[in-house]
Amino acid sequence: MRLGMVIDLKRCMACYGCQMSCKTEHGTPPGIFFARVLKREEGTYPSNRMIFLPVLCNHCEDAPCVDVCPTEASHYAEHGIVDIDHDKCVGCHSCMVACPYTNRYFRDEKQHYFGAAGPTPYEVARSDRHPEGVVMKCNFCRPRLAEGKLPACVDNCAALARTFGDLDDPNSAVSRLIKERGGFTLHPEAGTGPNVYYLAP
Amino acid sequence: MNVQSKIPTTAKEDKWIPSVCNICYGGCSMQAHRVDGTVIKIEGNPKSPIGGGKLCAKGLSGMMILYDPHRVNTPLRRTNPKKGMGVDPGWKPISWDEAMAEILPKLKKLHQEDPRQLVLQVTTTITPASLLFFAFGWAFGSPNMWVAGGGLHCGNGAHAAGGITHASWSVVPDFKHCNYALYFGASKGHGAGHAATPNITLAADARERGMRSVVVDPMCNPSAAKANEWVPIRVGTDAALALAMCNTLVNELDIVDREYLRDRTNAIYLVRPNGWHARDAQSGKPLVWDAAANQAVVYDAPGAKNAALEGTYQVNGEACRPSFDMMKEHLKKYSAEEGERISGIPAATIRRLSREFGEAARVGSTIVMDGHTLPYRPAAAIFFRGAQGHKNSMYNCFAIDLLNHIVGAADVVGGCLGFNPVCYGHPETKRPYYVPRKDKDGLMATGTWMLPHVPYPPADPRQPDSIGFIELFPLSHVSPLMASSDQKEWWSKFNLPYRPKILLNYGANSVMSVGNKEAASEALKEYEFIVSFDIFLNEFSDFADIILPDACYLEIFDPRPNFPMIFNHPAGPGEWGWPIRQPVSPLTHERKGARDVMLDIAYKLDLGPEINMAMNSYYNLDGPQMLDPKKTYTLPEVFDHELKHKFGPERGLEWFKEHGIITWPKKTEEVYWRTFLDVRIPIYHEYLMDLGERTGKLCAEGGMHFDPRYYGPLPEWLPCPSHEEKDASFDLYSFYYRDTIHVNGFTMENPWLDEIAQLDPFSYKIAINAETAKKKGLKDNDAVRLETPTGRHVEGRIKITEGIHPEGVGIAACAGHWTPHQPIAKGKGIFYNDLLEIDFEHTSPVNLNMDLCSKVRISRYEGPLG
Repeated sequence: MRLGMVIDLKRCMACYGCQMSCKTEHGTPPGIFFARVLKREEGTYPSNRMIFLPVLCNHCEDAPCVDVCPTEASHYAEHGIVDIDHDKCVGCHSCMVACPYTNRYFRDEKQHYFGAAGPTPYEVARSDRHPEGVVMKCNFCRPRLAEGKLPACVDNCAALARTFGDLDDPNSAVSRLIKERGGFTLHPEAGTGPNVYYLAP
Repeated sequence: MNVQSKIPTTAKEDKWIPSVCNICYGGCSMQAHRVDGTVIKIEGNPKSPIGGGKLCAKGLSGMMILYDPHRVNTPLRRTNPKKGMGVDPGWKPISWDEAMAEILPKLKKLHQEDPRQLVLQVTTTITPASLLFFAFGWAFGSPNMWVAGGGLHCGNGAHAAGGITHASWSVVPDFKHCNYALYFGASKGHGAGHAATPNITLAADARERGMRSVVVDPMCNPSAAKANEWVPIRVGTDAALALAMCNTLVNELDIVDREYLRDRTNAIYLVRPNGWHARDAQSGKPLVWDAAANQAVVYDAPGAKNAALEGTYQVNGEACRPSFDMMKEHLKKYSAEEGERISGIPAATIRRLSREFGEAARVGSTIVMDGHTLPYRPAAAIFFRGAQGHKNSMYNCFAIDLLNHIVGAADVVGGCLGFNPVCYGHPETKRPYYVPRKDKDGLMATGTWMLPHVPYPPADPRQPDSIGFIELFPLSHVSPLMASSDQKEWWSKFNLPYRPKILLNYGANSVMSVGNKEAASEALKEYEFIVSFDIFLNEFSDFADIILPDACYLEIFDPRPNFPMIFNHPAGPGEWGWPIRQPVSPLTHERKGARDVMLDIAYKLDLGPEINMAMNSYYNLDGPQMLDPKKTYTLPEVFDHELKHKFGPERGLEWFKEHGIITWPKKTEEVYWRTFLDVRIPIYHEYLMDLGERTGKLCAEGGMHFDPRYYGPLPEWLPCPSHEEKDASFDLYSFYYRDTIHVNGFTMENPWLDEIAQLDPFSYKIAINAETAKKKGLKDNDAVRLETPTGRHVEGRIKITEGIHPEGVGIAACAGHWTPHQPIAKGKGIFYNDLLEIDFEHTSPVNLNMDLCSKVRISRYEGPLG
């Protein structure tokens, strides 16, 4: 089984629900988003268009972040998920440099959203347990998967733009979408074999 | 494994509580995950059709409002008697007893003197919680209640037009069946407004199904970005485009649903040479021409089935013509070329869009739904804040909606739908129940409405009794006169027998939410005493005398957060859902819910019978669930009555606390009601002529300039003041638009939303067309000043984009806060409203909509920002 995601850019309207559901699921500290939405323009007025592009860790099959990690903190977990073992991470940034998608974040020190006013009860419960001096990123919500749930960004997407499943199964919804609608990956030239696919807008 | 994502397994409390979001008025169903007393997640409620388990980014971020350390925790009293913008009131914490000891005698005295001196101000964000707040005003006896900014910006035109022609607050394409949706400045399906989240899902389904969407908008973000075609339009000229399209359909292409116009509208009503309907001498009913019998008959006679839509007929010695014939001729002045001259959209494009829309409507086709053969018109033209936010708001909306009526695509399968204007109730109780009905002229009156006064039939205009003069302008529901720079002049000219003295505010920030801050502040300075319920101190607080610490939406009950369903319940086929809002976190500090406090104040002022009857009226309570005028109740007790009244004695507040929501299926007769009900809608607005005559007479008596052009029976394009600006150096039309990540001026203090807005290329910037910027020598991220002809100005950084009309500058939401009490919000984004005049010259004389576009010039700015 190889877990992957398909994001339908025709359905996505950039409500930022994925970016926020990820933040609230993981309690990520300020400045850290495992999921983001990018907005980019193409063409010139009036035949221009705006592209909304949700991004996250691509959970690559040949992940350069895993290759460069000197401590084996970045590793392949079950079903092709790329995760970071924070007990092993020494915060050397090598993986961040290696990732062609800039989807890794370094947490240098404890920060809170209201600054000097201190942590909210939410942050005490959810954010403060993240260690400092380590690299953080999306892990396809492994704890949710273990409970039989979908990743938070998939579960919440109001546009139903995200489909999650087994890329090794040719009959899975993700495989069929990629085949029928010509799914593509970002930066294929990097040769990393991403497991996150996109459908054209 | 990154174990930090896990929820601790040792928790003593771990529960999910169903409730309803209220970060915007969309009211999507949510559930909160509370672990050991802390809310650690908010998600959608999968059991509800209002969101189906999904939420937008705003809805997910509620914990950062609930736990904001800058919230107001205790009642506060000012120590500095001097009031002014930015003047520190010197807040001193006091007890609730001290606060009440000051408030109650003042209200008592005012009530004895003249209750009309009380003004209640609420915000659109917390609708419909704020409507219950109005019950205090009804009990107290004041006509002065307003949603500060609300209707002036978003709905005096859109909601009035929606009510008159769709019996609903707003309109939306029938996403499940529509094949061609034409948006005029509307965000339906793009993360903001009524039914925000459900519409994201419905619109995405429609896109995937292949619905073609064409978005007419000066800006390509966000709805135009998702469209098949973006049609950039000169700001505020929507009616010119819509009327040119109507003309093309009627006079060039002859794509007209004659059966619909004959049976469902007043298109057949005869019009005399003086513009008024020919009427039956005895009954007063409008006459139509029975072409089979060759005689005039009343509109509801059997012969109306043969009524003529075109031609000239002699009735009582006068040459009369059907309303459709009048409209057809009227439209001839809006050729595609004239449409191009005004809107800037090429005539060829106007003709193409007309043909596409008309052909997509498939006039004459039918579809079988649930055993009923119904008209199938899979094309819709919708409008909202963009098209309606102008001085010419009313006609903009009527002109756009006319497209639907010409092709018969109103409230039928695939067409333009009102939000749920027909409800036959839960199968067991038949409640809630509301159905549009016809008036004496056969025209439709809504079955339900948000406020006591309905758009049609309009109330008789009369000498104003309220400080906003809505009695004089019955099609309005909110008036800028509540905060205008010329209010005192008009009160005096119209001999208003009192002046407002006390203001009770529920969460509104009227210094920023109406227009320029100076006019709004001057109006506030005049009050003798201002009490404000707030969760945060804001710019308005500088004028308050006492601040009361309010509960936020995660700490209160509301028994009907999605009622009336014409407001924020998703339209189209599916399920009905009636959820409740309930506390997901207990109140802390000295905070109390504003409505609970107001109920307590009413009882302490000996207004028990009045407030109980006002709540009976608001909740339509009768029979065993009617509140006893002699008893005192807590709000949860009242809510228990309301829920049992609607869903039976076994389903009171306790039942809803556990289940969160009750659902039942919608009927075809509810969704596609147009075919099933004997009501007509006006395409010829004779009642506007009548209103105009009477309002005009009253205005003349008060010395108020009255422009009769706004009261004609057929929609026109009328210029806004910005279209008539003579000084050519003011060469750009500024406007604001709804952001997906922010709500009005309320959410910039939420650090999660603020963080995303900072990453968004547009949220905190002034969007300007690339070519325009180049001509002016401006580079991306340059600091600029926008200045109006009256010298009002705002500053900010520009975002150069191809996605905006060359004559437009676009600003998101209502940001640019300066209060030190919201440190996250402070200095972020641009306070667009500061460019807007608040006076009668910039107000529609028919529905009191404010003009929200402003002609500006742009220059590089060297001073400090934020």
